[in-house]
Amino acid sequence: MGGTVTRKYKSGSAVDFITRANAIKKLQVSLADFRRLCIFKGIYPREPKNTRQANKGSSAPTTFYYTKEIEYLMHDPILRKFREQKTFAKKLKRLLGRGDLDDAKRLESRRPRYKLDHVIRERYPTFMDSLRDLDDALNMLFLFSNMPANDKVGSNVTKQAEKLCNQWLAYLAKERLVRKVFVSIKGVYYSAIVKGQEIRWLVPFKFPQNIPTEVDLKIMLTFLEFYSTLLTFVLYKLYTDSNLVYPPNIDPTTLKTVGGISTYVLDQKDGAQSLVGDLKDTKQEGTQLSKDELSKALAADNQAEEIDAQEDVEEEKVEEASLDKFEDINKNSGDKLEQPLEFNNATSNLFQNFIFFVGREVPLDILEFLIVSCGGKIVSEVALDVVGASNYDLSKITHQISDRPKISKKVQGRIYIQPQWVFDSINKATLLNESDYAPGETLPPHLSPWGDSGSYDPEGPVAEDDLSSEEEDEEEEVEEGSEEDEDLVAQNELELEAAGKYTDAGKESKKEKEKKEKNTKKKIANEEKEQEEMKKFLISNRKRKVYENIKDEADREEKRQKDLKRKKIQLQKSKNQPKKGDS
Amino acid sequence: MVTRSANKWTESARSKNEKKRTHEEPSPEDVVELDSSEEEFELDGLIDEGSDDDREEEDSEHQQEPEENDKEDTGLEADEESELESDSDAELNRMLAQEEGDDESSESDAPSEPQEETTSLTDKVKNIKIRSYSEGSSSIRETTYSDGKLRLIRPEIDPKYESDDSEKEEFNTVGNIPLSAYEEFPHIGYDINGKRIMRPAKGSALEQLLESIDLPAGWTGLLDRNTGGVKNLTQDELELIRRIQSNELTDETLNPYEDTVEWFSSKVEVMPLSGKPEPKRRFVPSQQEQVKILKLVTAIREGRIVHPDKVKEEKFEDPVYDLWQDAEDNTVDQENNWRAPKLAPPTHEESYNPPEEYLLTEKERKEWEETDPSERRLQLLPQKFTALRKVPGYANNIKEIFERSLDLYLAPRVKQAKLNIDPDSLIPELPSPKDLRPFPIRCSTIYEGHSGRIRALSVHPSGFWLATGADDGTVRVWEVLSGREVFKTTIITDSHKGEDFIECIAWNPAENSGILAIAAGEHVYLIVPPIFGFDIENTGKSKIEHGFGYAKHGNIRKAAKGPSNESDDEDTTEAITKQHTSWFKPTPEQADRGISLVVSMKKVSVIKKISWHRKGDYFVTSSPNAGKTSVLVHQLSRHISQAPFNKSRGVIMDAKFHPFKPQLFVVSQRYIRIYDLQKQVLVKKLVSQARWLASIDIHPRGDNVITASYDKRVLWHDLDLSSEPYKTMRYHQKAVRAVAFHKGGLPLFGSASDDGTVHIFHGTVYDDLMSNPLLVPLKKLTGHRVIQSLGVLNMEWHPREAWVFTSGADGTARLWTT
Repeated sequence: MGGTVTRKYKSGSAVDFITRANAIKKLQVSLADFRRLCIFKGIYPREPKNTRQANKGSSAPTTFYYTKEIEYLMHDPILRKFREQKTFAKKLKRLLGRGDLDDAKRLESRRPRYKLDHVIRERYPTFMDSLRDLDDALNMLFLFSNMPANDKVGSNVTKQAEKLCNQWLAYLAKERLVRKVFVSIKGVYYSAIVKGQEIRWLVPFKFPQNIPTEVDLKIMLTFLEFYSTLLTFVLYKLYTDSNLVYPPNIDPTTLKTVGGISTYVLDQKDGAQSLVGDLKDTKQEGTQLSKDELSKALAADNQAEEIDAQEDVEEEKVEEASLDKFEDINKNSGDKLEQPLEFNNATSNLFQNFIFFVGREVPLDILEFLIVSCGGKIVSEVALDVVGASNYDLSKITHQISDRPKISKKVQGRIYIQPQWVFDSINKATLLNESDYAPGETLPPHLSPWGDSGSYDPEGPVAEDDLSSEEEDEEEEVEEGSEEDEDLVAQNELELEAAGKYTDAGKESKKEKEKKEKNTKKKIANEEKEQEEMKKFLISNRKRKVYENIKDEADREEKRQKDLKRKKIQLQKSKNQPKKGDS
Repeated sequence: MVTRSANKWTESARSKNEKKRTHEEPSPEDVVELDSSEEEFELDGLIDEGSDDDREEEDSEHQQEPEENDKEDTGLEADEESELESDSDAELNRMLAQEEGDDESSESDAPSEPQEETTSLTDKVKNIKIRSYSEGSSSIRETTYSDGKLRLIRPEIDPKYESDDSEKEEFNTVGNIPLSAYEEFPHIGYDINGKRIMRPAKGSALEQLLESIDLPAGWTGLLDRNTGGVKNLTQDELELIRRIQSNELTDETLNPYEDTVEWFSSKVEVMPLSGKPEPKRRFVPSQQEQVKILKLVTAIREGRIVHPDKVKEEKFEDPVYDLWQDAEDNTVDQENNWRAPKLAPPTHEESYNPPEEYLLTEKERKEWEETDPSERRLQLLPQKFTALRKVPGYANNIKEIFERSLDLYLAPRVKQAKLNIDPDSLIPELPSPKDLRPFPIRCSTIYEGHSGRIRALSVHPSGFWLATGADDGTVRVWEVLSGREVFKTTIITDSHKGEDFIECIAWNPAENSGILAIAAGEHVYLIVPPIFGFDIENTGKSKIEHGFGYAKHGNIRKAAKGPSNESDDEDTTEAITKQHTSWFKPTPEQADRGISLVVSMKKVSVIKKISWHRKGDYFVTSSPNAGKTSVLVHQLSRHISQAPFNKSRGVIMDAKFHPFKPQLFVVSQRYIRIYDLQKQVLVKKLVSQARWLASIDIHPRGDNVITASYDKRVLWHDLDLSSEPYKTMRYHQKAVRAVAFHKGGLPLFGSASDDGTVHIFHGTVYDDLMSNPLLVPLKKLTGHRVIQSLGVLNMEWHPREAWVFTSGADGTARLWTT
């Protein structure tokens, strides 16, 4: 008699999975809040093996989540905060409706805010995990850092994004971690290896962006919120790991003039100068002094509470004094010895001894980041305009990057190049021939460091054999078309022979022999093909489909390669012909 | 602060005062009136009895009042006092007499002396004494009544109710009598004391005239009812009337909007309201407050209380710290929690300056634009810019990242095993066809002559002759090697053409008989083609005709017990045999065409298949739509037909004898049933996954079966394995018409299909039960043309050689040799 009563939909995937509507009901939140929660917690729908079973008999299309995950969500502090926010919104609305602005202000100061750090820790148990998922975060942040603030995207959001992006770039430049760069139509792709993890992100070109109507900015902003908190924690970890102060200080003078990463002063905790310090070394001491003074003056203006500020300064001084000792020891032990070890990579030291002068027409943000992170130094024309040329020692400049069709006044001793030289050199990890990239020269193609989508190598040589073989193929195709006529031809020949008019026997026989050889070859090939095909009769349908898919893919790839090769050959031919005509 | 308590006291007193004042505005006058009338006085006393102090206070209040700057009041009082001095009995009486005309005097009458007031106070204690005391001074006169008793005549009471006019009404006590009643008398009525009220003297006519000429101020023209004189109004009365008419306050002196007096203001008065000394606590710091302050100080020091401005700043920036301080380095990913895949890296096509071969040609670009964005292999159009400065902004950046974020939170993630297998590994390792020779490769002979589709085909067991039956109604016999037609006969005459077709032909397996069975319509014709020579023809014909004698001699009963041992009930079998078929001798006309015997079904149903038993005495016919008689077993030697089933088994497509066992394979559209003919039981039922089986062939060893189905499949059943097919092969593009095993010891089989091809397979069957049959596709034979979507209709193997014969809808039969 014993034995448990099993009921339908009380176990298995009917219990393991929950539909979205039920999940929302269970959590008692609005759909929008549920969405935000999912984005923060990284919860995504699942595909049950048996959807009908999971949906308790219904086959209506639905999205499913793991029931367990939803149950975990129920205990999340964020959810509680969401509810608090809801009640808060009600209260605030009521107050505003009544016109109690003072009360509303007071209430606003107590607006419930949630923190995301526990979520980040949960989603990325180790630091490496967080680095692995940084691509999307960076893409989003760089996109927003370039977006104009409007009624939907607040200025504080874009400013925060920009700040984080610049901090990220400043860190990479300081640590010289950039390995690859690719200028595409969409923007500039960078790739850096941080703690052994390759991180790739896209920086859109600095043009104003129109927000398309089909884009739901709420979702984007939720992601952005999560990503920006993620990046702050990651940056903190990175900065502190490499003994830098986080958040980095901002140099107010450069902020007003040039902007970008050069405004960030990466102070080491030991007090040693860094990134921008290196940059400034190129400038004269006088300017530095003046800048310092300026900054001091600005600081004085900005700080309303002078006493506090003074206290702060004093404290800092104390700290510096205590840290100075470390510095001394470091100097003795060999700070210089560390340097080459630190940047062992070829790309990191690529522009080690170069000072680049970047023209006004060249996007400074791209080149500054790249040059600095490859060990070079940079003087921008923009900074010259603002600060004044007299402050810079221009005689040491080795390269001038220009994107103009012609340069009227060339300075002796400088190498003139187009910006692509920097990109390609970094990707190749060697200094390429500058003359190919001289201003006004047609540039060699800019190739992706991640290669082709298939297996075609645009730099590989296109041998004549390939060409000939292709031509043969074409010939064959033609022949196949005329194959049926061959019998007729043969008959005609026989008739001719019978009539005794057969003259060019020798020649034709040779041809025939060739043809016969070809025919036999073809026959053999055909037979093989047929046999291959016949073998497929015996495998199961599913396997056959898999096989055919693979084969199709391979065929498509082969075809694509052939097409590309053919195009290349044609292009080469068309290029050579006019030259021949000229000569 | 200093005079607080004192003020409190005064406040309450004042509020009381004010109440009183509102009740009875001119309070001093009041007192006087009370004093003057005894009853009322007593009344007053009753009320005031318990509150002597109050009264005193009131008095003091009265004294204070002038101090508090109430000038109007003081003014009034001063007037009253002055009047009071001249107050006396005589005056009072006089005034009473004058009353009607003199309003002011009546008013001024009201105030009484403070002296009297004090007396009235003491009066409460000793009533009589006061009376006596007041006798002299007050206006009470003593007279005697007629009986001699003392009569006190009290002074006229003038209650001075300002708003009241009762005094005037009571002046004349006559009541509501018209004055004309007193016209004859010198008086006009009586006053309260019973005295006559004398008619005022009337002047002469001249005086009247004069009066009428210059009317005095306040003249109304009315006759005073009480006095009988002219009723004039005083200036004050007129003023009063005007005020009432214009809705103003009646009392001019009253200011309804008096300024409030700030008794308790921020101003520290020089004089405290009370004379209390300042308490000590005012000078000692509060301990309670100190405790509170200490608490706040500690809270601020500990940072629990932050300045609101600083709070705001802090809230915008959450604290940053090392989140992964205590993280383990090697935590394992949670099960079922999959990371989102990274975005694919950009390729050369995306470059701002790609190699030129990546740019699309006109044609490709058109194609790209026409395809749906979701189906494009290239997501963006490659473009080439000669310099970095020429690169424009990209419009879809936001959209792409938005789509990515949608993917991240909306798309279900599924782990898909990436197929890293070598595709060739999917194909089984098979021996090369070269090693499996011989098998038919090419068409060596074409048998041409028929003018219709050749549906039927049979090879003589000797392997020299090929018989074909076509839709033109003829059966022809060909010499196999030369392709020469050696015999031709018309089975279906012109009268039946179009109705019946030659569906199937089959040579008797006995090599020496030369009998050919032909199924056409509902008849089976047996012929012996005259090509074998006399001996064979003779034996064949005698075999055919032997049965006639048998039937004639009535041995049918015995026949019923034949090899099939059909049933015990002889009568039923008899009935059945008689029902199903009838065996005829050919008509002379038929005999001319070479027909030796005609077996015709009783039930009109087309016979589709004929198959001989290996010994050549029995043959089985199947006709799909004949119900329970769709399968019939015929015995040639006895001219008997039996129906093995007494119930329909669906549409029977084919039936064949087992090569050596007494078993019958019956193919319905979906199932293959194997019956044991001796035990009369169903041995096995094979399930095919096809919908419409067409024909069957049995491996010479009897344990493997192939079936062809119209839904493009060829099924190999291994009877030792299971009821499901061992292999289902779908390589034909159209319906499969026929399948055949090689019966002469070669491991070959083939299938013919409507797509015009014949596929040859190698099929080794092992003795070992453990190893499955080895199937190797060998060759695809093409040559038959497809006509009206019909291709190869039938096929059969040569009895010994690895040759195969096929017949097609193009009217040819072909021999394929190695």
